[in-house]
Amino acid sequence: MPTLSVDAGNQFSDDRYAANQLPGEVITKNKWVVKGYGDFHQDAANISYVDLPYVAELLKKDGYDKRVEEYPFIKRLISANIKPLDQQYAAPVPYVIREIVLKRGAAGQKLRIGIVGFSEGKPAGANNEKEYNYAGFNISDPFETAKKILPELKKKVDFIIALAYMPLDQAQKLATDNSEIDSLIGARQLSNMDEPQHFNRATITYAYNQTKYLGELRVYAKSDGSIDNQVNRYVQLDSTIPDDPSALDVVTAAHTEFTNEQNKVAQTSPISSKPAPMLGGVDSPYAGEATCAACHQKEHQVWETSRHAHAMATLEKKNQQFDNECIACHVVGYQKGGFQSLYTTPQFANVQCEECHGPGLAHSGNPTKGYGFVATPVGCMRCHREPNDPDFNFAVYWPKIKH
Amino acid sequence: MVNARVALSLRNTELSEVPLRRKISLLLIVAFAAALAITGGCSRSGGVDGDQDDSVSFDVNDPRIKERLGEDDGYAFAVMYGADIHGSLETCG
Repeated sequence: MPTLSVDAGNQFSDDRYAANQLPGEVITKNKWVVKGYGDFHQDAANISYVDLPYVAELLKKDGYDKRVEEYPFIKRLISANIKPLDQQYAAPVPYVIREIVLKRGAAGQKLRIGIVGFSEGKPAGANNEKEYNYAGFNISDPFETAKKILPELKKKVDFIIALAYMPLDQAQKLATDNSEIDSLIGARQLSNMDEPQHFNRATITYAYNQTKYLGELRVYAKSDGSIDNQVNRYVQLDSTIPDDPSALDVVTAAHTEFTNEQNKVAQTSPISSKPAPMLGGVDSPYAGEATCAACHQKEHQVWETSRHAHAMATLEKKNQQFDNECIACHVVGYQKGGFQSLYTTPQFANVQCEECHGPGLAHSGNPTKGYGFVATPVGCMRCHREPNDPDFNFAVYWPKIKH
Repeated sequence: MVNARVALSLRNTELSEVPLRRKISLLLIVAFAAALAITGGCSRSGGVDGDQDDSVSFDVNDPRIKERLGEDDGYAFAVMYGADIHGSLETCG
């Protein structure tokens, strides 16, 4: 059966730490996504506000043709409501069109499918501006844009798939307001849902964070070739289906280059003998597990035998110890003045006492009661949540670390 | 046709007992498409260059493989989708 493969948004890292520019290792990660998506014939990827810092690099007119020659997938990065603010950038295409041959209907009957992308603007708290300037691009109102672009696209295709990086209520509005949309595939970190929804003629589904479950939307046709219904399901991405050797080569090469970039960083970042300063130069509020152990020996012994104490090893087995996406749940105080990297702050690796009980440097200097209350199980859910840990059961897990 | 609930329920039963090896999202997306091609006659849509990779080998009669692939129930086409990989070609841990 014909298949299409799409990404609904946030495919590139925008981690810039305290700097304005994307660091070399982040650029390397993103570059391998462009290459990987191209090598594996992804049909389209929707640009979101998260993607713009790197997409801006890809769409620079200076060297654009050569870049596209090297990474053809650049031309399949789509957005209907993101446009460059100045002349140095090329505009992304609003949509791509694919054509498939139906098994049902007249012999050789074809179906033209349009894939169009929309993104919300960067959430800005109480700021209700409709448009945002971001990394040299403008994100216009997706609803107004849809009113203009969808009738135009509908004249060219039989079936429209809208990729929408936005909260569910906005996706519902997009589908409700625009009867041209047949399928709406949404995303916005942790917004997945088990059952599709139906608004207007559109079926709305949401992607799993990190694509931990692959969405599969099946579209059925009547005997005359017209579209009938759509059924959604999620396929767990685990070891049941073996790795594709050629794809494994790509990921291995990506890891190698990424690790080399990290080693470059290490050469210029000496190991810290004291807690890392927080952004803005404020001293770290973290003490580290060794300090806790001085007074809380029994509790520390329980921790030492737990998986929390070996959380970094889990990442190291997969060569992910430098991956910012993973680190936050395997260390203490990431991006809060604790762990920075294995090179600079190894003393804060693993899920230590203070990750759950809170920064303890002040308590260690003045050990009074009142420090360290953890509201369970809510306190655990920051990391032990869907889809990071779908099997999480507090009643089962707590006895393993009870102290 | 295996619905999403059945697929999701697997993680609470047999899969929790399976040692987790690599969970490389992109690899499995590709492998999944290749598996569909082998078992169900999957083909790429028009407008995409390149041949389908058929180098993945596995036992198509393995119940867990069947669960993942679902049955060819006559659908016209399928859209595989994901999001929020945020620069990582594989999932964490």
